[in-house]
Amino acid sequence: MNFKLMVAVAVSILVFGAVPSRAGIPIDQYVTLSGFGTLGEVYSDYRQADFTGNFLQPSGAGHSRSWSPTPDSDLGAQADVNLGNGLSGVVQVISHYDPDGNYKPRFEWANIKYAFTSDLAVRLGRTLLPTYERSDSENVGYTLPWVRLPNEIRYSNSATHGDGIDVLYRVKTGAVTQDLQVQWGRTSEEFPGAVFRGKDLVVLSDTLQYGNASVHVAYQSMKYTYAGMPPAHFRLASAGFTYDPGTWFVTGDSNYAHYDFFGDFFAWYLSSGVRLGSFTPYAIYSKEHAPTSAPPSGLTSLGNERTLTAGVRWDFAKSLDFKLQLQRVSIDTLDAPASFTKLQPGARVGDKANVVSLAVDFVF
Amino acid sequence: MKTSALSALLLGVLAAAGIRAEEIVVIVNPAAGPISKEQIADLYLGRSGGLTPVDQPVGSAIYVEFYKKATGRDIAQVKALWSRILFTGRGLPPKQLPDSAAVKHAVAANPNVVGYIEKSAVDASVKVALPLD
Repeated sequence: MNFKLMVAVAVSILVFGAVPSRAGIPIDQYVTLSGFGTLGEVYSDYRQADFTGNFLQPSGAGHSRSWSPTPDSDLGAQADVNLGNGLSGVVQVISHYDPDGNYKPRFEWANIKYAFTSDLAVRLGRTLLPTYERSDSENVGYTLPWVRLPNEIRYSNSATHGDGIDVLYRVKTGAVTQDLQVQWGRTSEEFPGAVFRGKDLVVLSDTLQYGNASVHVAYQSMKYTYAGMPPAHFRLASAGFTYDPGTWFVTGDSNYAHYDFFGDFFAWYLSSGVRLGSFTPYAIYSKEHAPTSAPPSGLTSLGNERTLTAGVRWDFAKSLDFKLQLQRVSIDTLDAPASFTKLQPGARVGDKANVVSLAVDFVF
Repeated sequence: MKTSALSALLLGVLAAAGIRAEEIVVIVNPAAGPISKEQIADLYLGRSGGLTPVDQPVGSAIYVEFYKKATGRDIAQVKALWSRILFTGRGLPPKQLPDSAAVKHAVAANPNVVGYIEKSAVDASVKVALPLD
């Protein structure tokens, strides 16, 4: 699917009012259809590299062109199937700018779930990995307070989804609810020009919820191969929190990752916002830092950058929001800084990029 | 002059809204146990299971008022929270029923269902679990 087709579909959904009052269109008693999308435009004043929506994208805004719709625009559709007796399934297809430079739709979720009780379930198939506090809904702009998940936090982990089996267990202790998840399987992620493959993937995740406060911790481990290199090991630990009483919020996330070949990565962000009617202004500080002195790859500062972000979300209509986001990114390395691709010979450590993002998010 | 006319108009609107805002109550089946305001917020924001919450039509006056009082959130915030649950395959938002009579009917028929209606609509088929004011 090319970009124009995706935009045409997204615009017709918006214009022809297929945005009912809630997510989910019941087709019959078994099937519910829903969808989401983002139409975005990004401007970057930095001519020595392209700013991207995540490190898998092959181009963006800045060097190739000043304005680009590719970092954030996407379109997704989902079918939920409920067969009763605890058996259900979900399939989600998403089209966004991919490593090949097109909008070919791919399966993001495709699994069947069996609930033994209301607190214990097992799923078989594909799921998005719960590695970060918001990684499992990062493609759904409407669920985020910002235009996108900070690029730095996403940089440490090459895999976004897992194919395998996982067990979900909910434990209630007084007013504290814990959602435990254990996942086994494998993963593959296409990069521009190479494929990252992981096997023996294990993910442990725990989300603690106490009223308006939540804490998320996760651990991930796998054996990976990348671009024909010998198999190596990857581990990642992450911890995040959110406090959201309704009128304001504060949230943060962090992770520490280790690749046998690429060394260590540490990334974190802190963000806060205030809700003023239908407007939610926010700020984010995010950073990625590679602390290893001499990894086998020889790349000692892979991904390093810092970003200061200010923006506003405006919930201007039912199931629709508009976001304006201003960012100042400090480039701390010439080894693939987290937000950039197509680095030019004129790029220098210490360069700053000013980035403006506009987005309309919708769900139906 | 203009300012005082505007203030008078605002006061009038506020007074009218005050008179029209009816008290909302959370109802459960007469056979069901007690429930706290925290539990209601958790149920309607998808943070816990166990009981099955049912909704009034999204955007209706009682829907808006209920979420404001029970969860401190407006329609867009509630929508964003449920979108996250939906699009991570973790569940569907509460079933929407057409009116208070339908909510009462659903609650009366099943001890696991929780709903909310105007206080004036309560009858013997259901039990008031929690007044919201």
